[in-house]
Amino acid sequence: MPTTADGIESTSVATVTAGEAPSLSGWRIYVRNLWRWREFGWFLAMGNLKARNASTSLGLFWWVLNPLIMAAVYFLVFGVIFEGRRGDADFLAWLLSGVFVFNFTATTMTSGANSILANRRLLVNIRFPRLVLPISAVIETGVGFILSIPVYYVIAWPVNGVLPGRSILWLPLAIGLHTVFNLGLAAFTARLAVPFRDINNLIPHINRLWLYLSPIIWPLSLIEGRGGWLEQLASINPMFGLLSFYRMALMGRELDVSAFVTALVWVLVIGAGGIISFVRHEGNMVRHL
Amino acid sequence: MRPPAVSVSGVGVTYRSYVERVPTVRRMVARRRLRRSTKVVALDDVSFDVDRGETFGLVGDNGAGKSTLLRVIARTMRPDRGTVTVRGETSTLLQLGAGFNPELSGRRNVYLSGLAHGLRRAEITRLFDDIVDYAELAEAIDRPLKSYSSGMLSRLAFSVSMHLLPDILLLDEVLAVGDVGFRQKSLAAMRDLLARGGTVIVASHSLQMMVEMCDRVLWLERGKVRELGPAEPVVDAYGRAPPVAAG
Repeated sequence: MPTTADGIESTSVATVTAGEAPSLSGWRIYVRNLWRWREFGWFLAMGNLKARNASTSLGLFWWVLNPLIMAAVYFLVFGVIFEGRRGDADFLAWLLSGVFVFNFTATTMTSGANSILANRRLLVNIRFPRLVLPISAVIETGVGFILSIPVYYVIAWPVNGVLPGRSILWLPLAIGLHTVFNLGLAAFTARLAVPFRDINNLIPHINRLWLYLSPIIWPLSLIEGRGGWLEQLASINPMFGLLSFYRMALMGRELDVSAFVTALVWVLVIGAGGIISFVRHEGNMVRHL
Repeated sequence: MRPPAVSVSGVGVTYRSYVERVPTVRRMVARRRLRRSTKVVALDDVSFDVDRGETFGLVGDNGAGKSTLLRVIARTMRPDRGTVTVRGETSTLLQLGAGFNPELSGRRNVYLSGLAHGLRRAEITRLFDDIVDYAELAEAIDRPLKSYSSGMLSRLAFSVSMHLLPDILLLDEVLAVGDVGFRQKSLAAMRDLLARGGTVIVASHSLQMMVEMCDRVLWLERGKVRELGPAEPVVDAYGRAPPVAAG
């Protein structure tokens, strides 16, 4: 609330001291401020959602078309040419769910890294909890992701006969956990991209490698029983558990419990770690802009 | 005696070298030993108080630390040393069109700016017509901001800032633009703010305006307080001094 000058006696006294870190009460105030700025985060996200493709004829459709075209290319290359289906009857549903889910994380990392730099004028001039910016990036990409779920069924139903069953009740929880994970990633890349702009060049390569190392374009049978570093890497990759959880909800597959527990740990570590790291550094962001 | 609106005590800000030059691998290898010496001191042990109802001016050459000081008072930037205490809500007009997005319409930008200041959407809707009328932009408000002239931009930015009813208004070289009529109007609005017990802190190179507007002026030189006192003698002394190369 803006305070009128008459109400000046009641306005808070704000002191900023060098090198202060948020204390416990500081965190409580931070969360309260985030809540106060919630409409700003939403408005910014909706504005970007529209503005991003405003000058194209298909506009908002690109949010769904982009991952769809990506999935079509992978289907052609890995499903048809390399015959990656390997007897998996639901390969298209497997691929689509994998690409859509992974794309949510990949786009969040990109727009999260940009969220501070793209709004430098706001940051320099106006005081607000900076975490609103990566949150807004996650809202923006999250809305695009949720729009793509009906599209998944429109394709997976006629081709693979996949229809939403009772297991779809897990979907909100899957999206919730995934969103916390992505918010942590977005906060972390945003905080790193401010002093190290190189991150923006690295992210596409990290995303591509991560996509190839996750069970998206190949079925799990490809690595099962292979042992060695491949399986070790798989056992720590949070995408295995996340995707397994999503595919339980979307395709009625069986949940890989140990992978899911690993993913839960990652959600907590990345979610909390990214946010804490971001907030501890947000006082220093303006000097790098 | 009421406490001052703004207390700045022993504030120092040092930018590291990579603000000026990105640490590429080549430079990191070649200049590793020199890195410590490439720090830039933007503010060095700056202390002063600004009272309520006062118009306080900042003068100094480019790079003297005026903008950094305003950012520290706006609390968008944490100082490396010292303490800043601000009593009341600040509103900043630090750069032309604070926080405005050129691709969006004037209308959406008013909302964006208001929401960024922590207002509710409903509050902005209530203020919206007044903001647009005051800025004299009724016809242009639904056009994208990139089609605005610089005068229109500064009118809109100033109108948004004033309608937020700040206790402390921070201005950085913004009143130089805009036509004579709007300048009169904005000066009147600032007098209202001061009469209500508000405070104005302004940085400008327009020395004539600083003498007319300000009660006291702070002269910054390479991040240090060179002189602080009544507007006219300080501005005169600054105007006579030979220019100092920015550190």
